[in-house]
Amino acid sequence: MLGLLLGGIYAFVALGLAVIFGVMDVINVAHGGFVVVGMYTVWFVADSLGYPPYLGIPLAAAGLFAGGALIQRTTIAPVMEGPEENKFLVTVAFLVLLVALVEMQFSATPRQLDVGLGSTAVGGVYVLEGQLFALTVAAVTFAAVWVLLHRTDVGRAIRGTADNRLGAAYAGVDVRRVDYITFGLGAALAGLAGGLITFIQPFDPYLGNEYLTIAFVVVVLGGLGSIPGTLLGGLIVGMLHVFGSFYLPGTYYNVLIMLVFIVVLLVKPTGLLGSEHRA
Amino acid sequence: MPDPAGLTARLRSLLARLTASWGSRESSVPALVATLGLLAVLPVALDVSVLGLSLGGLLSVHLLVVTLIWAIAAQGWNLAAGLTGEFSFGHAAFFGLGAYAPLVLAREFAVNPWLGTVIGAVLAAGYALVVGVLSFRYNVRGSYFALITLAFAELLLHVFVNVERFGAASGFVKPLPGAYGTDFGLAAFQFRETLPYYYVTLGFLGVVTLVVFAIKRARLGLYLAAIRDNEDGATASGIPLVRYKLFAFAVSAFLTALAGACWAMYFTSIRPRVVFGVLVNLDILLPAVIGGLGTVVGPIAGSFVLTVVSELARQSVDLPRLQTVVYGILLLVVVLKSPGGVVSLFGRVSDWFEERRTYAESRSVSDD
Repeated sequence: MLGLLLGGIYAFVALGLAVIFGVMDVINVAHGGFVVVGMYTVWFVADSLGYPPYLGIPLAAAGLFAGGALIQRTTIAPVMEGPEENKFLVTVAFLVLLVALVEMQFSATPRQLDVGLGSTAVGGVYVLEGQLFALTVAAVTFAAVWVLLHRTDVGRAIRGTADNRLGAAYAGVDVRRVDYITFGLGAALAGLAGGLITFIQPFDPYLGNEYLTIAFVVVVLGGLGSIPGTLLGGLIVGMLHVFGSFYLPGTYYNVLIMLVFIVVLLVKPTGLLGSEHRA
Repeated sequence: MPDPAGLTARLRSLLARLTASWGSRESSVPALVATLGLLAVLPVALDVSVLGLSLGGLLSVHLLVVTLIWAIAAQGWNLAAGLTGEFSFGHAAFFGLGAYAPLVLAREFAVNPWLGTVIGAVLAAGYALVVGVLSFRYNVRGSYFALITLAFAELLLHVFVNVERFGAASGFVKPLPGAYGTDFGLAAFQFRETLPYYYVTLGFLGVVTLVVFAIKRARLGLYLAAIRDNEDGATASGIPLVRYKLFAFAVSAFLTALAGACWAMYFTSIRPRVVFGVLVNLDILLPAVIGGLGTVVGPIAGSFVLTVVSELARQSVDLPRLQTVVYGILLLVVVLKSPGGVVSLFGRVSDWFEERRTYAESRSVSDD
């Protein structure tokens, strides 16, 4: 049960990364920064403004959508055609910038949201209501993203661009606009994930870096840009974490996760469910 | 009495030549000698004050040591990423191995840190061979190569966090020279003052830079450049691809490990997170990217630019984490506005000299 919950969260944190990676082929290191911004938006709404923390979540998503689209437009679009490492470096720059700015504003003190939620019995297992809330929002968002990608024109344009940029452009898709939307969507999903994390665990500005590595593992494990793959990858990493920490001493489960990651990168870099058909 | 006009002309042409050699992607001996010479007198220059302003107000010897350490690490990374096109995001693995080896060996077996430094560098090269054999055998390229090197670095981080013998997550304090039977001094690789550290680190930087320079200038360097620019083309021209990629990666790891050793012997304690952490990868590649990828002077220049700019920022507004913000902004500006790095600015200056000269010549011709 714990593995399932953890897996769901991991998968959700990785979702935004998977969307951007699948469509634009950018390793968005700034993802970790977006997650942290999401966390502290919720914290700001709850702690400084005194509103219920739930309100912070849509705010984080909306703000990060705009911010993400702006970042894409001003800094990633110019290097999109250049060498691969330039895109990577731009996102690295935003990771350190965002994390440092958040730390400047809110200090590095670990915070915990006081949501005052109890726990409920689900199928004979007690689950904290914060966790239940997070998992529900995550599941709804997963479904919404799937519908967006598969049942709307924007989604078709995004998937078309992911399959074949040039082909999509020839077919009349405004590829650059798709890039803005995709990057904004990825950032918004990261912010949403960050907001939800505040409901289930204490956090500090460096938590994003830890989730970033896990998100990479999940995305590559499941298959680039594949949404079911991301879910599967999240579950696998969640299970590895839970069972690894039970059977292995200390935090050796991290070593285990990294080993699995390396093997997948070597043997099947397209991931378990990855194929030509992406997003 | 030399005539002043001739003197300024000579001075100008010297400057033009120097900026040209600093600025070009092709590195030259005078640029290297000038750079290392400047670095050798830098600590002395800290105390010289001109009109009440002195470099010492901006920089301290401590900062210079740190700057040189990251310059060495970046120079090592540069050999793989800049010269061969192996864009690693996991050189923290090699830096960390190089840092832990001399300390652990000195503490557990009373081994002299100089020997420990060599052992650490060999270990790092060995680890690089493992990483390289696997990634090149399975043909991991581009973004995936960055990810897999990161994974190998994180692997070591988590291993070191869990080994109680090495102090686990909280690390341990650097053993004093007495622990391995020497007194403070060169033989112990530990000093009571900061200045000797500077010259030892500068010595390492000199050696590392010479190695990279020699490789770049040799036929080997051409092979590596060919691999960087077009792997398939390089293979087609008969370059044994995997062998040369492995060679470059292992030597690069060896050199970066030397920086780790300098770091370990200079600071007073070590923890896995400060030598293996994700952000260490960034610290290593930043000077090279800022300075100019694939140039020999670039990593050194980049490291100094980073230190000077972040010190200037820190002294004008004292905010926590400001340094990191400055790093982020500098990285953005360089990648977006000047992908050749700071060194390419020298190239622009020398172009300007060149233009001035041709302009003056054309005018003197038209005057006649």
